[in-house]
Amino acid sequence: MLKKLLPPLIPFVVVTLALEWMVRAGVVAGYLVPAPSAVFRALLDNRDELAAAMAKTSAGALVGFSLSTLSGIVIAVLLSSSRAIQRSFYPYAVFFQTVPIIAIAPLLVIWFGYGMKTVIASAFIVSIFPVIANTLQGLLSTDPALRDLFRLYGASSTVTLVKLRFPAALPQILTGLRVASGLAVIGAIVGEFIGGAGLGSVVDVARTQQRVDKVFAAVLLASVLGLALFGLINLISALTLRRWHASEQETI
Amino acid sequence: MTRRCFCAACAAGTLFASCGKPTKTRLALNWKPDPQFGGFYAAPYEKQGLDVEILPGGAGTPTVQMIGAGTAEFGIVSADELVVARARGNDVVALFAVFQNCPQGIMAHASRHLISVGDVVKEGTLAIQRGLPYARILEKKYGFEHVKLVPSPGGDISAFLRDEKFAQQCFVMSEPLQARHSGANVTVFPVADIGYNPYTTVLATSGAQLKSDPKRAAAMVSAVREGWRAYLDDPKPTNTKMHDLNPSMDASVFAEVAEAQKPFIETAQLGVMTTERWTTLIGQLKELGDIPNAMPAQDCFRTV
Repeated sequence: MLKKLLPPLIPFVVVTLALEWMVRAGVVAGYLVPAPSAVFRALLDNRDELAAAMAKTSAGALVGFSLSTLSGIVIAVLLSSSRAIQRSFYPYAVFFQTVPIIAIAPLLVIWFGYGMKTVIASAFIVSIFPVIANTLQGLLSTDPALRDLFRLYGASSTVTLVKLRFPAALPQILTGLRVASGLAVIGAIVGEFIGGAGLGSVVDVARTQQRVDKVFAAVLLASVLGLALFGLINLISALTLRRWHASEQETI
Repeated sequence: MTRRCFCAACAAGTLFASCGKPTKTRLALNWKPDPQFGGFYAAPYEKQGLDVEILPGGAGTPTVQMIGAGTAEFGIVSADELVVARARGNDVVALFAVFQNCPQGIMAHASRHLISVGDVVKEGTLAIQRGLPYARILEKKYGFEHVKLVPSPGGDISAFLRDEKFAQQCFVMSEPLQARHSGANVTVFPVADIGYNPYTTVLATSGAQLKSDPKRAAAMVSAVREGWRAYLDDPKPTNTKMHDLNPSMDASVFAEVAEAQKPFIETAQLGVMTTERWTTLIGQLKELGDIPNAMPAQDCFRTV
């Protein structure tokens, strides 16, 4: 455990100490970049407010992420079912990736109203594309020899999907989910900027009050949330791939 | 000094900000080119030997921090922002206050027959930047228990138009005008009515800049004063110029706003500030807890 934790911990400690020194020595002004100790104090002083905000952002990001996982996989399965469908609809999936979320966020408020729905929609929109793209890629890369084997035994397309193509696509799907998890957090916070509530709202208010320490405290919590989601996907990945996929075996 | 300035600039994410002796003078705005900046666009900088580049901003452009970091030599701030910045160790100094009376307010639908700003928060929705001092003064005075608070849509009035019970923060000569153009009947409650009246659209610079090159600040103020005089007398040519830079705002709106803002700007002498007004503001911000300690009012502004 320590062997795993130590490598990422070292740069963290070094950067934190360096930053603290730079602010204290006056190399960087504290009103531009807060000292880590000030961020820590802001975390403590505002713990109730930040905890409530974090809970809201987590809920928004998690629901948006779950929705994009489910619908992203379903859409990818549909797209993979025929070349014609794929050619007709895939370009529209790409659309989601190119949506400048900041630009359409005010519209989300008009469509979904102020509050949670807007936050979820924003998290969903920015996180669905990597799920679709990676799942589709995975579903289309099944080993042809294994597919022939399934055909030889007369397996139906549903059975082939469930027993062969989907499990074989899991590594790619999980890669898509890793990318999507971070994006969902960003999407939720952008949604909160416009729709209110959560860490996005804390950042907005703190910025208006020139409280850089509080802004960084909220940003730090957002990163923690992103890391937690990422960790969750890694856990699922380890559990599902351990027995057969090279990426989850100790050889690397 | 140079090293500190360089690091600060890098920290602000603006690697390209040169920190040698800049030949150009940068003036950072906190919004897009519009009539509230008319005098800055009309100012005869060349006549004062200045080469000024005006940097338009947007929602949340941190002009106060930009001045402190040296990313811009001059910037537009509001008086309350400046006091809070000073309390945080950012040595920013006001030079010229365009709006003598705060043009911010709350607009609501006239159909609600509201008498005072206190009625606005009795029901419905209020779109306001909660971090702003006057939002918290309102909260202290009237409480926000009965109103749904949402983030300010920053100049966009579509939500307001769709909902009779929706009120929003505004520039009293800007959004209400747009709303009336769209057929809405509005009532406006200026923030100054609750006794909160900070100077707004204030030209500011850093203490360091003022010390190292006092002549430049003096030249800037002269040019700006002349620019505002010219703009108040005849806004047309400058409005055309600003409309080219900000075509999303109608030419007719430019003219109307320029007319409507005049009483906020032209009171006594253009741009002048008093120790008394700064002292009041500092007291109010201290009471709100936005600054830990009162500060000498005369440090906040300089007459050059």
